[in-house]
Amino acid sequence: MENHDTRRSRLDFGMWFGVMVLFIFCAADMAVAQDTSLLSGESSTIFRTMQSTNNDTLAPAYEYLHFSAPNLDRNGRFSLDVGGWGRTDLGYRSTKDYHDGDLQYGYVSYRGPSNNLAADLGRQFVTEGVASEKLDGLYLRSDFKAGFGAAAFVGAPVVTEPNSGGGSLIYGGRLTNSMSKYYTIGISALKVNCDGVNSREEEGVDIWFHPLTQIDIVGRSSYNSITGGWMEHDYQLTYSPRNNLSINANTSDIKYRAYFFNMTTDVFSLYSATNRTGLLDPNERAQATGASVVYSPKKKLVLTADYKNHHHAIAGDANYFGGKATVLLPEGFMTGLSIHRMDGSTDKLRYSEYRVFTSKKIKRFDFTGDYIETSYDNQINGVNNSHTLVGAVSYQIKSGLKFSADIDYYRNPYYDNNVAGLFKITYAFDARRGTEGSAK
Amino acid sequence: MKRFLSTVLLSLIAIAPYAYSGTASIVKKHPVEVTGMPNCAECHTDKWQSFNHKAANFYDKHRFYAQDQRLACAACHKDSFCSDCHAHKEEIKPSDKFAGSPQRNLPHRGDFLSQHMIDGQVNPASCAKCHGRQNNEGCKTCHR
Repeated sequence: MENHDTRRSRLDFGMWFGVMVLFIFCAADMAVAQDTSLLSGESSTIFRTMQSTNNDTLAPAYEYLHFSAPNLDRNGRFSLDVGGWGRTDLGYRSTKDYHDGDLQYGYVSYRGPSNNLAADLGRQFVTEGVASEKLDGLYLRSDFKAGFGAAAFVGAPVVTEPNSGGGSLIYGGRLTNSMSKYYTIGISALKVNCDGVNSREEEGVDIWFHPLTQIDIVGRSSYNSITGGWMEHDYQLTYSPRNNLSINANTSDIKYRAYFFNMTTDVFSLYSATNRTGLLDPNERAQATGASVVYSPKKKLVLTADYKNHHHAIAGDANYFGGKATVLLPEGFMTGLSIHRMDGSTDKLRYSEYRVFTSKKIKRFDFTGDYIETSYDNQINGVNNSHTLVGAVSYQIKSGLKFSADIDYYRNPYYDNNVAGLFKITYAFDARRGTEGSAK
Repeated sequence: MKRFLSTVLLSLIAIAPYAYSGTASIVKKHPVEVTGMPNCAECHTDKWQSFNHKAANFYDKHRFYAQDQRLACAACHKDSFCSDCHAHKEEIKPSDKFAGSPQRNLPHRGDFLSQHMIDGQVNPASCAKCHGRQNNEGCKTCHR
């Protein structure tokens, strides 16, 4: 029996879909009237076949649709973007429902000719400082004098699971000061209200420094006002002394009590006296420090070496290091190799990873091969290695129309000799009508 | 801090009509067609030269750029590009959707069923960024 939230979710989806289809027709009508670019879009029809954990053969079919009407008015200030997918099972049920779907985004947008003025209304992905959220609502931003800028958003969080406690209202904003050649520094905040209670209150500081051509520093610190502690510090430095050489350093520090507070996915819930099924220790702290060097001795050859140390207050340490080489050869041939080692303080955290991939373009065909192996120092479910082999081919039937297929073979501690397949037809179009020609 | 932020935000919104910078907006569409993964430094000598998509750590850094300069991203990328990975509800992992692009940094390649149990212990925050509050129906299949 479906509950109230499930029904509400379907009603919301239906309402949004209907509104967006209506907008598309309006957009098409207006754009034709204004003699401007009408509509661009892409359809991907996907058929998959694979085995479930019960050895049932699953055959879900998907349709992904994306539409964009970039010029709803004469000056191209208003636009509309809509995207979503639907799935039906041709064989056994692949999830809890035989049919499912989602409106991924759907919003009307206004872009001002100056001040980077922007206003978006609808389902959208907002990324502003501490906010990296899908919401149904309104987003506004603008630049101001003296290098200042501001953004604000308000709406309803887009939640996936019924009864997930994802909240009913989200709002926040970000203030920035920028000197275009040298830096941008921002402060941001967001708040989520769930059934009259504030379930999230986060503030943050973010930076982007690029004082010299060779130096680029980005990072962010975020604070949880409800728990009263820092959630995360994450900073990355890139130094590029030459065009073909880049040296990178990164550091991050995550405190579980603040970071995982009120996560709605059970596996990320914190253990407490009132939540004894919680899996994460609130006193845990994960710190990571790493570096990488990227060197391209020749234009077609890229070599990378990387290292990262993971330090945990409770769970112990681990070092992850390795290298990668990518070669681009003439006539559409590309190949790469990577080797990495995880060396940790527990049995599970000791393994080696190997990967080889290659692709070749022959006329309208693209062929790809990808092999990944993980070799465990200690067996998992009695298995020493996991293997994944992917073979893919695509054929460009004509401009905008492409067929692709891939087959995956994998063997790992949980599946023994399993095969999965995926077939995809992609059709992209960019309709433009004028007062002459096809519109007549 | 919250009151401070609220006060500053409201003040700025109130004075907005009188304090516009007057600068031209970032173009809605990049004036030159860009194909493949570009190194923006090949043309740009300003701050956009940081956007070297070929850099090994661009995948790690792109979230910082997106949180700061979303309009710049939008000059080349439509929302459909972001939603290939950043979905609040999705059933096909990105590396399966784009198996023909082995050079792309796509999450969950290879034997992810085994690997996520290991990676999840090392850095569960890396999982929670996408699955902590959304896109978690797959998680709930096992993690009830």
